[in-house]
Amino acid sequence: MKTLLVIKKQEYEWLIDLFPGVHPLLVPICNKPFIEFLVDFAILAGSDALRIVSDGVLGDVEHYCENGSRWGVEISYGSMRPGDDISTVIDKNRRFCLDGRVIIISGFLFIRYNKKREYASLFASLPTGELLGCPHGSISLAGTSTTKTEAPGTLPFSLAALDSIGKYYELSMEILRTGLTHYVIPGYSSEEDCYIGRNVIIPKSAEIIKPVIIGNNVQIMTNAIIDRNSVIGSNVIIDRESVISGSIVIGNTYIGEHLEVKNKIAAGNLLIDPESGTVIVMEDPHLLTTMTKSKVAGALLRRLVHTLGATFLILLQLFPWLLLRPILGMQGKWKRKKEQYYAERQGKYVTLTSTTIECTGALSAFAKALSLDRFTLLFKVLSGKLALIGNQPRPLNPAIPLLPNSPAGYRPAVFSYAEAEEWPEIGIDTEIVEHYYAVHSDPLKDIAMTQKALFHRTH
Amino acid sequence: MNISEKTINNYAIVSLQGILNASSAPKLKTYIAGMPDEQSLVIDLENVEFLDSSGLGALVGIARKKKTGSAVMKLARMNERVKKVFEITQAYTLFDIYDDVSAAAEA
Amino acid sequence: MNPIITLTLQANLRYVRVASIIACNVAEIFADFTCNSTDIAEFCHAYELSVSEAFTNSVRYAKPAQPEKQVTIRFSSDNNSLAVSIIDTNSQFNPVTQAPDISSYPEGGYGLFLIHRLMDTVSYTREDDTNILTMTKQATMTHDT
Repeated sequence: MKTLLVIKKQEYEWLIDLFPGVHPLLVPICNKPFIEFLVDFAILAGSDALRIVSDGVLGDVEHYCENGSRWGVEISYGSMRPGDDISTVIDKNRRFCLDGRVIIISGFLFIRYNKKREYASLFASLPTGELLGCPHGSISLAGTSTTKTEAPGTLPFSLAALDSIGKYYELSMEILRTGLTHYVIPGYSSEEDCYIGRNVIIPKSAEIIKPVIIGNNVQIMTNAIIDRNSVIGSNVIIDRESVISGSIVIGNTYIGEHLEVKNKIAAGNLLIDPESGTVIVMEDPHLLTTMTKSKVAGALLRRLVHTLGATFLILLQLFPWLLLRPILGMQGKWKRKKEQYYAERQGKYVTLTSTTIECTGALSAFAKALSLDRFTLLFKVLSGKLALIGNQPRPLNPAIPLLPNSPAGYRPAVFSYAEAEEWPEIGIDTEIVEHYYAVHSDPLKDIAMTQKALFHRTH
Repeated sequence: MNISEKTINNYAIVSLQGILNASSAPKLKTYIAGMPDEQSLVIDLENVEFLDSSGLGALVGIARKKKTGSAVMKLARMNERVKKVFEITQAYTLFDIYDDVSAAAEA
Repeated sequence: MNPIITLTLQANLRYVRVASIIACNVAEIFADFTCNSTDIAEFCHAYELSVSEAFTNSVRYAKPAQPEKQVTIRFSSDNNSLAVSIIDTNSQFNPVTQAPDISSYPEGGYGLFLIHRLMDTVSYTREDDTNILTMTKQATMTHDT
């Protein structure tokens, strides 16, 4: 048995606006990428090979599923033109369809099934032709069957078209309420209706009510409540005293303090109401008011603290720098590069000389431990061009413009919050942690974070 | 690069073997230019070990020519390395791509 | 970055394949120590393709006034990334990264776009009348474990 999956761009285009940057086949349903439900079904139905055919880009899907060895099924990919009908697609994949029977799933469909039931022998005996159809697609069988049997009156699977955000939400809730045991759901489950991923931090004061699914690397802050029927994706922070209920929080989302998210989908900074389909840009009123109130005074104090901190570090590093800089320079281990970076003020740039110390030998290790590579940058703090701690300076790149008006702001700095927390220094995780601290920082905390960054960089 | 040709159902099946890059692409272009514009084509890519954007450019050029000559040009048996170039450039949207030569010539 | 090999070839399309095969082989030797086996093929193909594109561009835009033109390919590495630079003496160019509009059946203009998509970082500098296009990729693939 083989499975041919035919999905046209036109059928899933609506999802791209809501989940930008994620291929619709990889959009998570109950924390499991959509394609994995289809892969599971194909395997359950006895397939040893699966081909995904689309007129859209499949690169990300290919990158994620690779050749399918992870599931023990051979996955390949094919392309088609938007106008192709099913018989043309079968022709284009004739070699794939040549031997044996093929299940053809056409359309952006979710297939409801139950992993405990037996599908392999059922599909082997079902007659050729369309098995189930709906306006958005169908599931059919090609190739001759070995045994001749009539299709049973009711099939142990059904189709659900994914054609709107409402359907997506409904389907997630349906699985959460009644179908968790029908599918393979990621996460650790020691009791019914409760799936929790790796590295999830839940304080004692937080409350969690099942059914619930929580992904990996999730931080739930004090007094937060995850009420029933919620799906929390991976790399999510739910800040203190926020309440999530009947909602889906997509991965890499930060939910601020004192927020109530009820029957919504939160993805990045978007809050989507599944019923009406309206999209709101998420703001946290509490944080914004406190920040604007003390903005001027806070900024002055921060500037003062950062200047003092930088002066202190300059005095501390001056002697080792004078000593080690010429030696390492002569050894060719002191590499400097001048580049332009985005400045804090929108549309302004700052030229920085970044230093890298090649980490070979005791002297350079010592220099690195003392963070001497940041020494010259400290003077930029005195001149007000950089902060002592804040965001990693982003290199000027016309291809990736700096997002304007990010609620927390962007403050290029000598040390970054991500360094202080030992988070990986690239990617979306860093943005989350920097965003979090940018919102929560105050001048005193900044000193503590700078210390932490200095300490962690020595390792 | 080696080029060989046979005919199935009025389609000229042009099989390429070897490297399709800037130094070999002109050879393919000249070869195709020697055919009548209205001749429909299936280009069999199974034995193309390597293709870069110059090779892709040649195929796109042939496709454009065939389109204006109201002939058909199809590609068959693309391997993973070749597919990668089509995927990144989205050139797959310009071609009908088959995994079987005879299926391409019949349809 | 430690230099590995520097190679100077005549600026002729005849040698495109030589450049790209060498790039593929250097990448393979390098990746052998750092990648797991399934990623090596992809890593090498990225270098094979990128160098093929960059070398072709260098030859294509060579000034006809200098018949003895050469293109230099320089490989260097650090712990987990391999850099390859293509150096020529052509006039300055604008390293556009935009994808060509595929629907208009363009026959060229894919080269730099492909390179940008295949490599982690691509930088272009102009030094003493030479163009240096440096392409770098990390060998350790990040996979969720």
